[in-house]
Amino acid sequence: MSLTLFHQHVLEDHLSGFEAKANPNHLAAIRRPAIFSVLAHRGHEVFVKSGLASIEGVQVRDCAPGEWLVVSTGLGAVVMENTLAEIAGASVIDQSDGRALLRIHGPNVRRILAKCVAVDLHPDGFAVGTSTNMLCCHVAVNLARSGGDTFEIVVPRSFCGSVFEEIMEMGREFALTAAFADS
Amino acid sequence: MASLITCPHCGTRPKEEFSIRGTALGRPHPAVSEEDWHRYVYLRDNPKGRYQEYWHHAAGCRRWLVVDRDNVTHDVFGVTDAATFGRVGE
Amino acid sequence: MTSYRLGNAGSVNRGQPLTFTFDGKNYKGFEGDTLASGLLANDQMLMGRSFKYHRPRGPVTAGSSEPNALMTIGTGARSEPNVRATVAELYNGLTAVSQNRWPSLTFDVGAVNGLLSPMLGAGFYYKTFMWPAALWEKLYEPVIRRAAGLGKLAMQADPDRYEKSWAHCDLLVIGSGPTGLMAALAAGRAGARVILVDEGFRLGGSLLSESASIGGVSPADFAAAMIEELEALPNVTLMPRTTVFGWYDDMVFGAVERVQKHVGTPSPDLPMERLWRIAAKRAILATGSEERPLVFGGNDKPGVMTASAVRTYANRYGVAAGGKIAVFTNGGSGYRTAADLVAAGVDVTAIIDARAQSADAVPDNVRVIRNGAVVSTKGRKRLEALIAERSGFQEQIACDALAMAGGWSPIVHLMCQRGAKPVWSDEAQAFLAPDVGAAFIAAGSAAGQDRISACLKDGATKAVALARELGFAAYEMNIPEVEGEYDPAFAPIWYVPGARDKAFVDFQNDVAVSDLGLAQREGFRHIEHTKRYTTAGMATDQGKLGNVATIGIVAGMRGVSPAAIGTTTFRPFYTPVSFGALAGTSRSEHAAPVRTSPLHDWAKKNGATFVEAGLWHRSAWFPREGEKGWRDSVDREVKNVRRNAGLCDVSTLGKIEIFGKGAAEFLNRIYCNNFLKLPVGKARYGLMLREDGMIFDDGTTSRLSETHYVMTTTTAYAAEVMSHLEFASQTFWPELDVRFVSSTDQWAQMSLAGPKARAIISRVVEDDISDAAFPYLAAKPVTLRGGLKARLFRISFSGELAFELAVPAGYGEAVADALMEAGKDEGICAYGVEALNVLRIEKGFITHNEIDGRTTPDDLGYGRMLAMQKADFIGKRQSSRFGLTAADRMQLVGLKPVEVDKEFMAGAHLLKEGATPSMANDQGWVSSVCHSPTLGHVIGLAMLKSGRERYGEKIVVWDGLRGKEVAAAVCPPVFADPDNRKLQE
Ligand SMILES: [Zn+2]
Repeated sequence: MSLTLFHQHVLEDHLSGFEAKANPNHLAAIRRPAIFSVLAHRGHEVFVKSGLASIEGVQVRDCAPGEWLVVSTGLGAVVMENTLAEIAGASVIDQSDGRALLRIHGPNVRRILAKCVAVDLHPDGFAVGTSTNMLCCHVAVNLARSGGDTFEIVVPRSFCGSVFEEIMEMGREFALTAAFADS
Repeated sequence: MASLITCPHCGTRPKEEFSIRGTALGRPHPAVSEEDWHRYVYLRDNPKGRYQEYWHHAAGCRRWLVVDRDNVTHDVFGVTDAATFGRVGE
Repeated sequence: MTSYRLGNAGSVNRGQPLTFTFDGKNYKGFEGDTLASGLLANDQMLMGRSFKYHRPRGPVTAGSSEPNALMTIGTGARSEPNVRATVAELYNGLTAVSQNRWPSLTFDVGAVNGLLSPMLGAGFYYKTFMWPAALWEKLYEPVIRRAAGLGKLAMQADPDRYEKSWAHCDLLVIGSGPTGLMAALAAGRAGARVILVDEGFRLGGSLLSESASIGGVSPADFAAAMIEELEALPNVTLMPRTTVFGWYDDMVFGAVERVQKHVGTPSPDLPMERLWRIAAKRAILATGSEERPLVFGGNDKPGVMTASAVRTYANRYGVAAGGKIAVFTNGGSGYRTAADLVAAGVDVTAIIDARAQSADAVPDNVRVIRNGAVVSTKGRKRLEALIAERSGFQEQIACDALAMAGGWSPIVHLMCQRGAKPVWSDEAQAFLAPDVGAAFIAAGSAAGQDRISACLKDGATKAVALARELGFAAYEMNIPEVEGEYDPAFAPIWYVPGARDKAFVDFQNDVAVSDLGLAQREGFRHIEHTKRYTTAGMATDQGKLGNVATIGIVAGMRGVSPAAIGTTTFRPFYTPVSFGALAGTSRSEHAAPVRTSPLHDWAKKNGATFVEAGLWHRSAWFPREGEKGWRDSVDREVKNVRRNAGLCDVSTLGKIEIFGKGAAEFLNRIYCNNFLKLPVGKARYGLMLREDGMIFDDGTTSRLSETHYVMTTTTAYAAEVMSHLEFASQTFWPELDVRFVSSTDQWAQMSLAGPKARAIISRVVEDDISDAAFPYLAAKPVTLRGGLKARLFRISFSGELAFELAVPAGYGEAVADALMEAGKDEGICAYGVEALNVLRIEKGFITHNEIDGRTTPDDLGYGRMLAMQKADFIGKRQSSRFGLTAADRMQLVGLKPVEVDKEFMAGAHLLKEGATPSMANDQGWVSSVCHSPTLGHVIGLAMLKSGRERYGEKIVVWDGLRGKEVAAAVCPPVFADPDNRKLQE
């Protein structure tokens, strides 16, 4: 007996009722990102960090001293795992199914996120490329600025439905739409 | 309504991101006296005023911090990573 | 009905008429009106009844300190009581109803209280409802409740949305009058991030109400030009309709924005109100000052209002407060009011000045009575005349409105909310803002400045200084010339002697000067006692208008300075804030975030009933057709697991990945049992203790490689265990090389339990899982047929042969479906946490019912796990202390009813046979109970004194709560398969 198993995104049910056509303020749920936790062991923090920085096609998200989430919408989990395994002094674990990746974009994105997070997202203090763990809609997430008006949020899967609904509620004022995206 | 704590790793955050464990006390060496252990496990000074407490940045970097603050005025004098906090009995 | 709308005065939009109703009657107003100005324009001065005596009342103010003009606005679920008509923005279709009167505002039966007023003085409730105590519930409380309270709630769910938001800035400016506008512009031009907040629906504050010339234009035009420039600055945010209600730790200010309170048909996409938390590096309090009423006989008659309110109605709203207006003043404000009224063509009958002389300009043809006093007023539902007294001679002066000017009190509430008290100034004859540090300063008239020109300068200077402190380039502001401003100086007069009627200090709560005297005579002399005894300052307006007079009068009665009396305590909120705004989106099913398992949809389609476990929704049982209740389903699920096999979602168990060369040593110190030699590919059950020797949590940890472990925790303690590990690693033993990360969300984990579990799971897993290859407590990565990588653990919480299969969460539903399909012929069923609980009680496994913070490993029968030969582990030192090894400790036992059809419940206590039910005779308690379908009767786990020595003893299960006693037999705490044969199959 060989099994054919279908993979389900955590927001499958949540996204079915939404308008497919994206408004200027839009939230994309990435279908199958590769997301790995990388932990540097004592004394290897700098080395691991520079190792991560040299990998192409991934974004490195700061979580804590010596801890990162490595995110890619291009590389598959297998490629990512093999690449990361080569970094000495790091422990790596696949979280691709344990985390959802949401990308929120648009002219009012900061106004929307101000209702979700307490951190000041003004570009003077939270420039493009910045990422950090924080509470978003009462849930600990990793939030990154990937562009002037674009933020990416990595949400624990079990909380994702709750966080998604809350962000959409906060976006009503600005006609926030949502849909799946492949990358 | 709000209090803000500046995590040395993550920056200024609302108190909701933290959980507090109480007095910042170093764990005694396993071999110190019964009295020292008793004091460590059960006795707290509970001062009014300046106070060092363990705060866990649970929704951020998940590091344990020592917050040095006045528990009357909430003036914060410093926040440091707990790994650098001294130990007793050694 | 007379119209009191003045020619073309004011800044209401005459091109935009609005209609509204008050007590069922139609009225017309204009865009830019408040409800109060709209009513006054239509000669509707009577707007409410007072709380205690039901006296007719009109508005005293034109702002947020209003004590009298409280109304219920809106209809149905949107009706909101106690709205101040003086700040409620008029909109088309607004429906307002008066309060605290029956049957109508003009004829109110409750006004009879006024006739009884000699009996209803200060302390009335305390004195009257003291005895007999038995009457409290039946008589006093219902009577007081019916009489008390100002408005009535809709008693329907709030149909509107509310939001919360954060904002961040370099400088927060609170108040948009002359001071605030200049401050915001100065800091804004310097480049600082500025937020300017004002409670009004139009920015400009007092500039909208005053007459003068600022830089050659009217104050309102000057404000408009400033606002235009501010709006164009990208670093400045303007927030009208927003009240800063509190100042909190670390320069966070709470504010509420009334987003749609002024909208007839609210948009469903916008909140009704928005609660703001504004984190500011610096803040300027530019809240201005409040004009004090004068305390004289009959000062509560509708038509008596502050001079600045009369001026605001005339200059801003183009409304005359009456046809013939008198002025009673102790300073320049009264004269300016008279001048503005005369300029607008309103008849000013007299200015009664309490002072002997003054340099204030008197408008032409207006009579001034110096050294005068108002001692009484005439009229019932509206002022008709006043009695003025001068040198012992009294004179009746006809008027339908009286503007009273009693001096100014800086509005400093926000600065006093964190413990600092305002400071009395003899020079200003007012309480001034305390020094609360350099980050939050008062400016303008909130800081005691009294003229527009001084306010403009003060706002600019202080904002420039703050901006410079924050590193912004200095920006020098030009201060415009102000012409025609008046001198607001005053000579304080707390209480006008010779009153022939009640002289009120607190209008809303009907506290008169006589009440304050009574409180002093009866010993309630401390101002906090005076406040509570008389209720002065305890109404919805929190004494904004009357508190300073209360203090001044009490000081006078005691012959001391107001400084010696001091103020009562200031607390948030500055003005009332709705519960809706405070709750935000956290209501109903959104009260807290929900966690769902990756098998949630699988459970749903299998018909699960869910139960909340912390934030998780877990499948509790899976009802089938014909089953009459949950017990039927649970019994069936349990029996089926013991006979065939069952699939249970255990994804919610905490999972922590542990890495590092120091991991083995670390785990050895975290658990009380040995972990150093756990082989790769094996799981071990472990107990974690607290430092006091009590069990903290239990679970299994598996070694996946030399330096990689995965720990499972209970669902309830997942977060606590993770924090505990981090605490131990970071503060106890930072030298150990060990790192953790939670993988709880990564895995869909299912427990497949029952004699047929292996047969079923081997159809899905490629690897050899025979007992030889995959023995009890094996823990290894496996591959599913088709190639999916998974983890398989041979662990059991049911006592049956069992496997836990963990697959990446996104495949959870598909794999669970595949297992159900593979086990169809074997009779597999889905089972929930209720059946899981029954299975574990039958097997005598523990949960947090037993690990309740008071139990040691030995108490639960795990004493042998304590590896005391280890150099150190958490809890080791306290585990050997006297009390934890005592022979009479409570120990885990099993309980069976002596008569099998008898039942007992968890929480019941245990007694020796024949003992009187009392806590003195307490022998222990029942921790877990279930109906065991395997045995056919109720079974329980219990903590019993020296329990393990008492197997076979008959004992009484005493349920004091339900008044039930059941005889039970003490037995070992394992009811099924005590030799663990099934686990090893
Ligand atoms: Zn942190």
